[in-house]
Amino acid sequence: MTDDATRTLGKGSIPPGPVPEGVIRLYSMRFCPYAHRTRLVLRAKGIRHEVININLRNKPEWYFTKHPFGQIPVLENSKCQLIYESVIACEYLDDAYPGRKLYPYDPYERARQKMLLELFYKVPHLTKECLVALRCGRDCADLKLALRQEFCNLEEILGYQNTVFFGGDCISMIDYLFWPWFERLDVYGIADCVNHTPTLRLWIAAMKQDPTVCSLLTDKNTFLGFLNLYFQNNPAAFDYGLSC
Amino acid sequence: MRFCPFAKRTLLVLRAKGIRHEVININLKNKPEWFFKKNPLGLVPVLETSLGQLICESAITCEYLDEAYPGKKLWPEDPYEKACQKMVFESFSKMPSLMISFLRTQNKEDCSGLKEELHKEFSKLEEVLTNKKTTFFGGSSLSMIDYLIWPWFEWLEALELNEYVDHTPNLKLWMASMRKDPTVSSLLTDVKTFQGFFNLYMQNSPEACDYGL
Repeated sequence: MTDDATRTLGKGSIPPGPVPEGVIRLYSMRFCPYAHRTRLVLRAKGIRHEVININLRNKPEWYFTKHPFGQIPVLENSKCQLIYESVIACEYLDDAYPGRKLYPYDPYERARQKMLLELFYKVPHLTKECLVALRCGRDCADLKLALRQEFCNLEEILGYQNTVFFGGDCISMIDYLFWPWFERLDVYGIADCVNHTPTLRLWIAAMKQDPTVCSLLTDKNTFLGFLNLYFQNNPAAFDYGLSC
Repeated sequence: MRFCPFAKRTLLVLRAKGIRHEVININLKNKPEWFFKKNPLGLVPVLETSLGQLICESAITCEYLDEAYPGKKLWPEDPYEKACQKMVFESFSKMPSLMISFLRTQNKEDCSGLKEELHKEFSKLEEVLTNKKTTFFGGSSLSMIDYLIWPWFEWLEALELNEYVDHTPNLKLWMASMRKDPTVSSLLTDVKTFQGFFNLYMQNSPEACDYGL
């Protein structure tokens, strides 16, 4: 059971109180890939945190004081400082908290990871479009082709580097930033998009062995339950799988 | 390329940190084949070190320089302050493509839609300055975020869009303060040269990138 297994807060909910000292709060949603990035970093660095899940179809009015457009993820600390945009939130956590650094120390290696992130930018949009197309019974051959091309680019990088992970032989920030979309390939119905990229498949297997990734894996049936309700526009989708 | 706003970011940081550097200008309308080995997309700016390391994407080059070189840090040390500057930078992301669209539609069809959008973007930035109550986007002195957004504001006069900051007084003051910064002023391009470049560039002339030399 992950630490974010709590019911969402929606319209009419009471605003949460201030964040206690020594803890950082994450406004999240259990199935959101962007928030997933931040949860991975919080877990990987062993940062004490609390999670408030937001009902994205029925957002609490108070939530717009945390983010102007009501998006997630958002971090809030005990000084009432708010940080949003998943990549910025992840970097903030790496900078602000001690322990294991997820970004490399070397400026050039850091830059390389940031350049790799640029290469990834089409993947979230393409995976989402495939999901929507499949759920609406539309053909998505073109979309899948485009996604496969993106995966080929990533395959090439791993091949050229000859390393297990995108940052080297150990898992690092860039791997966590990519991971949420790869975890979703199967449940989105597009797992075949990695059929022609064996090194990328090896990376996926290696990622699944990482303790942090493992501890946050969402069970396939729970995810499918969420997707079914989500595509029926049911606001109960976000709490799917939680015991009453 | 002397007129590329993205490359201007990197030049500003090199200059602000006093980093010894050499510049090779690339003719973007007639790219050398070898340049694609430096960046497969053939875009500027690209940094190359004596170790043969290549860094692309303007914001990444700027961050690399700030981390790799000693002296004045342009990004704040405080992780939250740095995150704030990055959030402002994120909200600036629509500006470059808006300005390019402006460049492309000048003297053609009505661009009131674009003007409306530009106005919105300026208002967003104005709000940041108003809330912070400081001259610059990072505080009372110039820092990375100011250098990252400056190159597009340098274009305003050349594109005859100066009036668009009349409704955003703090932004107007910021522009004036930026022009007084020694780094910024040492790299200012005059309006006539900009306009000469724009004209040739829009005609796809291979001479555009060398205009004024």
